[in-house]
Amino acid sequence: MSSHAATAGPIDHHHDATTTTGIPHKKLFMWAFLASDCMFFGSLIATHLVYRLHPPVGSPDPRDIFSIELTSGSTFILLMSSLLMALAVNAIQKGNVQTTRRMLLGTIVFGLIFLGGQVYEFNHFVHVGGLTLANSVFGTTFYTLTGTHGTHVAIGVLWLVLMYIRSFKPADESNGQSWILKGSAHFLAFVGVVVVGMYTLLALIHAFEEGHGLGYYFSHHFISFGITLALLAVLVAFARQRTPVDFGEANAIDVESMGLYWHFVDIVWIIIFPVVYLLEYIVLP
Amino acid sequence: MSASATAEHPADAHANDGKFHIFVELAMILAVITGAELLVIYVPFPNSLVITILMALSAIKFMAVIFIFMHLKWDKPFCTILFFIGLILGGGTLGALLLIHGAKDSQPVGPAYEEQV
Repeated sequence: MSSHAATAGPIDHHHDATTTTGIPHKKLFMWAFLASDCMFFGSLIATHLVYRLHPPVGSPDPRDIFSIELTSGSTFILLMSSLLMALAVNAIQKGNVQTTRRMLLGTIVFGLIFLGGQVYEFNHFVHVGGLTLANSVFGTTFYTLTGTHGTHVAIGVLWLVLMYIRSFKPADESNGQSWILKGSAHFLAFVGVVVVGMYTLLALIHAFEEGHGLGYYFSHHFISFGITLALLAVLVAFARQRTPVDFGEANAIDVESMGLYWHFVDIVWIIIFPVVYLLEYIVLP
Repeated sequence: MSASATAEHPADAHANDGKFHIFVELAMILAVITGAELLVIYVPFPNSLVITILMALSAIKFMAVIFIFMHLKWDKPFCTILFFIGLILGGGTLGALLLIHGAKDSQPVGPAYEEQV
């Protein structure tokens, strides 16, 4: 049994005397999973590099397609999300639920900005750069690698949202059905904000890129803009609940396991950024 | 523990928290290193030197994140060993594939590669 919840007194968040390894099972599982993911990403990066070093005739020149400014911005955003995730873990290890929630929300927002940047980047590559998944080996390996990383980020954001909602579980367990309904509504509001909000934001960027003004934007996207605001208001209402919750220092291992996954997503990007993007500007053929 | 229990923690709890400052300082350092990575590709150094610098900076960022943000520094060594098994296997696979496909006999041939062969 590795649950710290069953232990009394101060919690040692780095060791667990109740397990045979002295490491909480959830943490050990996550490290084993991340070790396997290293091999997965190692193979994907190697595949991209092998084909990139031997490009067939007529391969596109990535320097004509990439936007180093956008990618650098995404790298910075992901780095800062890692900081917020570390602070969320730090806060929950002290039982500070409010700070944990704020840091989780910040991490979610930064993760979504990264994903939005990737959607914008892919859209630009396909429609302006003419780079698709199927029209060149470079496109195939590039989208497979960065798309797999983006999928990891998306799973991480989903996990963060679920953990954020979990932090509102009431301490009074007599009304469990009500909590499930409320949690589901909370989740749906989050999904709505993300999907409709991202559509609205991308439409705004598109309107400016096409040279249309705010008037044109609001005349075409007023409904989605209004829905986004309404769902944000619902999320604020959920966040203002002040009833005692069944979430605290004993759940630190759950937040930490999620944090390990999120930091891993960051370190994979730490490798992808120079290898896939920066090297293009100096040496690759 | 409930949210109400957080009242036991003073508002400035973070001020006395060493890890908080370590995390923030590390994030700033990582941001500076990322900026240095960007700058170095525009400096007219030999390619081999630029690649070495980029790989070294990435390795520093990688290690800093896993040992500090991911708490390996404070966790039992077994977590480090477990992760490095995967890391070495993954990195070894990457290195081996690059070496194999970098060998002359492994160069791709055929109409699509005629200009390079």
